[in-house]
Amino acid sequence: MNATACCFASAMADENAEIARGLRRRNPDLLDRLIEKYQHRLLRYLVHLTGRRELAEDVFQDTWIRVFERGAQYDGRHDFGTWLFSIARHLVIDRERRRRETAVDDPAPLVAADEPSAFDLAAGREQSGRILAAMRHLSAEHREALVLRFQEDMSLEEIGRVTGAPLSTVKSRLYRGLTALAPWIKGEML
Amino acid sequence: MLIALGGPESMEESDCAWLSGHLESCEECREFADASAEAVRMLRAVPISAGWSLVSATRSRLRQRALELQRQRERLWVATVCCAAVTLCTLLTTAALWGGLAWLARETRVISPLWQMLLLAANFMPALFAAVLLLARGIHLSDRTWEG
Repeated sequence: MNATACCFASAMADENAEIARGLRRRNPDLLDRLIEKYQHRLLRYLVHLTGRRELAEDVFQDTWIRVFERGAQYDGRHDFGTWLFSIARHLVIDRERRRRETAVDDPAPLVAADEPSAFDLAAGREQSGRILAAMRHLSAEHREALVLRFQEDMSLEEIGRVTGAPLSTVKSRLYRGLTALAPWIKGEML
Repeated sequence: MLIALGGPESMEESDCAWLSGHLESCEECREFADASAEAVRMLRAVPISAGWSLVSATRSRLRQRALELQRQRERLWVATVCCAAVTLCTLLTTAALWGGLAWLARETRVISPLWQMLLLAANFMPALFAAVLLLARGIHLSDRTWEG
């Protein structure tokens, strides 16, 4: 098992190094492969983070443009997905900051109110719509931590790298997020 | 608990055993564990996926950006070559003029600092003038853009 884990870690390191080299050269085939690999994960993360599919799709495109422009900054020492998600996160934060600066009186919140949106209900499954509606009652940080942990299967350290938060804060957000979500789920289960 | 619910880390066997024992005896923790596990299961089942149109639009924007950057690099390359050529010509011209003007100054008995300063001014004034004009144009255009 240890030998397998070592081989896996070594393969991942080689893959990350190859991605770093390809991004420095702005290799278009590599970018296509990366988009293919991360498209669903990235969009899922952005939808949960922003609460709006349209905004998530805009940031999705901006994220890949940023990856293309600043690929040389990826050094290959950590998983590419971690770097990709941190870029996406910064873009969402920048957008939110600009929105607040230019529309002080805009009452439209980034996160929808109590009722699930049409997107939620048309998501295909009623349960999915309800979990999404429940997630909207959490703060963005808690939502983000839960998504990165339980949908993207990131380790606590990786979540810390994406969010820039210390390990203790990541654990706290996960715990508080689950605690806040549990009553909604219990209501669903009853 | 967070480790047990998911993630790449694994729990020690002793911790697993302790957690199982605790959950059997503590109803509150067991309810929390059940609710959390259900929340995680539902979260993992959410069907959000990127459509083909989104991926296609992204690739199109990337190609556009790649072309823009390539054009910028080409313009920068041309500007660099031009600057290098102009600098070389200036040096050669200045060297030739220096000799000629030194001879002329000796013949006409003009003092050295005077013709040297005049030569340097004649060499650099056009470039300075052009730089000031471009700067003023740039400021004027950015002001118009801001007002527009």
